[in-house]
Amino acid sequence: MNPITKLSELAEHVRSRGSMTRVAVAAADDSHTITAIARAVREGWAHAILHGHKARIEQVCQSESIDPALFEIIDHADDVTATKAATLQVKSGAADVLMKGLVRTDVFLKAVLDKQQGLLPPGAVMSYTCALEIPRYNKLMFISDTAVLPHPDLNQKAAMIDYSVKMARRLGIQTPKVALISATEKVSPSMPSTLDYAQLCSMNKRGQIKNCLIDGPLDVFLACDPEAGEIKGVNTPIKGEADVLIFPDLESANSFYKGLMLFAGAELAGLIQGTVKPVVVMSRSESAASKYYCLALACLMAEEI
Amino acid sequence: MQITKLEQMFDVLKTRPKKRLVAAWAIDAHTIIAVSQAVNMGIIDAILVGDEAVIKSVCVEHGINPSIFRIVSAASDVEGATKAVELINAGEGDFLMKGLISTDRYMKAILNKERGLMENGAVLAHVTVAEPMGYHKLLIFGDVAIIPEPDLNQKIAICNYLIKTARLLGVETPKLGILSASEQTLPKIRSSYEAALISKMAERGQIKGAIVDGPLGFDLIVDKESAQIKGVKSEVCGDADCILFPNIEAGNTFYKTITCLMGSELCAIVMGAKVPAVLTSRGDSERSKLFSIALAATLA
Repeated sequence: MNPITKLSELAEHVRSRGSMTRVAVAAADDSHTITAIARAVREGWAHAILHGHKARIEQVCQSESIDPALFEIIDHADDVTATKAATLQVKSGAADVLMKGLVRTDVFLKAVLDKQQGLLPPGAVMSYTCALEIPRYNKLMFISDTAVLPHPDLNQKAAMIDYSVKMARRLGIQTPKVALISATEKVSPSMPSTLDYAQLCSMNKRGQIKNCLIDGPLDVFLACDPEAGEIKGVNTPIKGEADVLIFPDLESANSFYKGLMLFAGAELAGLIQGTVKPVVVMSRSESAASKYYCLALACLMAEEI
Repeated sequence: MQITKLEQMFDVLKTRPKKRLVAAWAIDAHTIIAVSQAVNMGIIDAILVGDEAVIKSVCVEHGINPSIFRIVSAASDVEGATKAVELINAGEGDFLMKGLISTDRYMKAILNKERGLMENGAVLAHVTVAEPMGYHKLLIFGDVAIIPEPDLNQKIAICNYLIKTARLLGVETPKLGILSASEQTLPKIRSSYEAALISKMAERGQIKGAIVDGPLGFDLIVDKESAQIKGVKSEVCGDADCILFPNIEAGNTFYKTITCLMGSELCAIVMGAKVPAVLTSRGDSERSKLFSIALAATLA
């Protein structure tokens, strides 16, 4: 397949698959969540199971002029039981994607991370990857970790690479170029992330990390601007054409994408990986388009190949 | 010209202006004989620092003409080492050699903060150049004698000394292999992950003048076929000029394997001071001492 270079192409790709992904929504009692999922259901690529307060859900549907018959609605007394039930449905294989609704993030993640009834296999790393569409970049950019891991260690960075590469490959990029982002291209013990980066490069060179081409430390210019390597005299195989950007910490990744959204008109789709199935956690501040893309991305990543 | 046999150092030195050796407390036959051979070959000039009467009587005993040396008097080993270092600092000598003085006293004179030979923050390390039987060129490695467990900065310093040595022996772009137990990067093994760091630093030009790769197992460093079998693609594999050892045990064992089991020739110097320093032990063969003097003269 040709690489997908825009989020609209991603949605088109998901629509054209002709298959239906079952989405379990935890505490689906708010209009943002219901609006987003309703569009996917109407377009025929998602089947939605809404766990929550049935009467409230129906009320929201009415005020948004959405037919509640689009959904399978399961009534629960409170958010905690609704979230647990939705999680269990994904765990048991009765649903393919878990989506967070109007429930506090800590309550939601507690259910996802529950040792017995949660979705994270023992020893697995949970991480957040975004696909960013930036008007001035000629392809999608996958970045991690913007939401879950505050200070990823070496092992967690390796998992972030793994998840991002999987996502990029699923979107048609055969051998993604992975840039490990720092403030400089030099390896320095005073910047511990650069030490992890050097090891990850070495692992990639030795075939311990496959299916991608890794280089770092690199700054954002060297990663994303083809001219920067020449100007700075740094010979990197990334050549300013990075598909994946791995950030040293949550603050830098988070600021990077929010800056791009605010000042450069970027749009994103993101989800939690490392779990047995994709988990969609959307913030209310995200645009309706972003929410729709998040769901499309999750449905694509939920496919078994 | 790339030197591939130790004795080629002699030929090269004969074509250059002679460097001046300063031997600290050179009152024993081992030292005096080795220095006299080098002087007689015409590859160096020498100053012997020590008890003049003793030096002269050793010369007579071994049929050496004492007038081929300049002799500077000293009353004790410590004074001898101090005076030798002073001569270097005064610009009267180009490199140092240890005589009949204990290594720690010799080093103390070099390391002396006010009057020694160290620049601030410099790392003193031991570099060996060997001519291992069955290998197609010289092998330069360290540290087998001074730093027991080099940290990252010390390893980088040692790498730079190995590269400098290789280049002064005529290898234009030396290939440096960083030894570990395997070529896999294993974060829990210090030698392995530090090798990855150093390789990356070299790639970024933080270590210059060489092609650096590691971690690599010993087989991969010196044997191309092993690298092919294991599927490791690296310019260094099978063609290394230099090896960085992770610690003194590994390096020292390799050094002694070369001399004791293979009977191959080698020589060594101490680098990191303002001038190279010869640190032969009495156990070394005469030839090896001569090679060490030649190596120091080449690097001086």
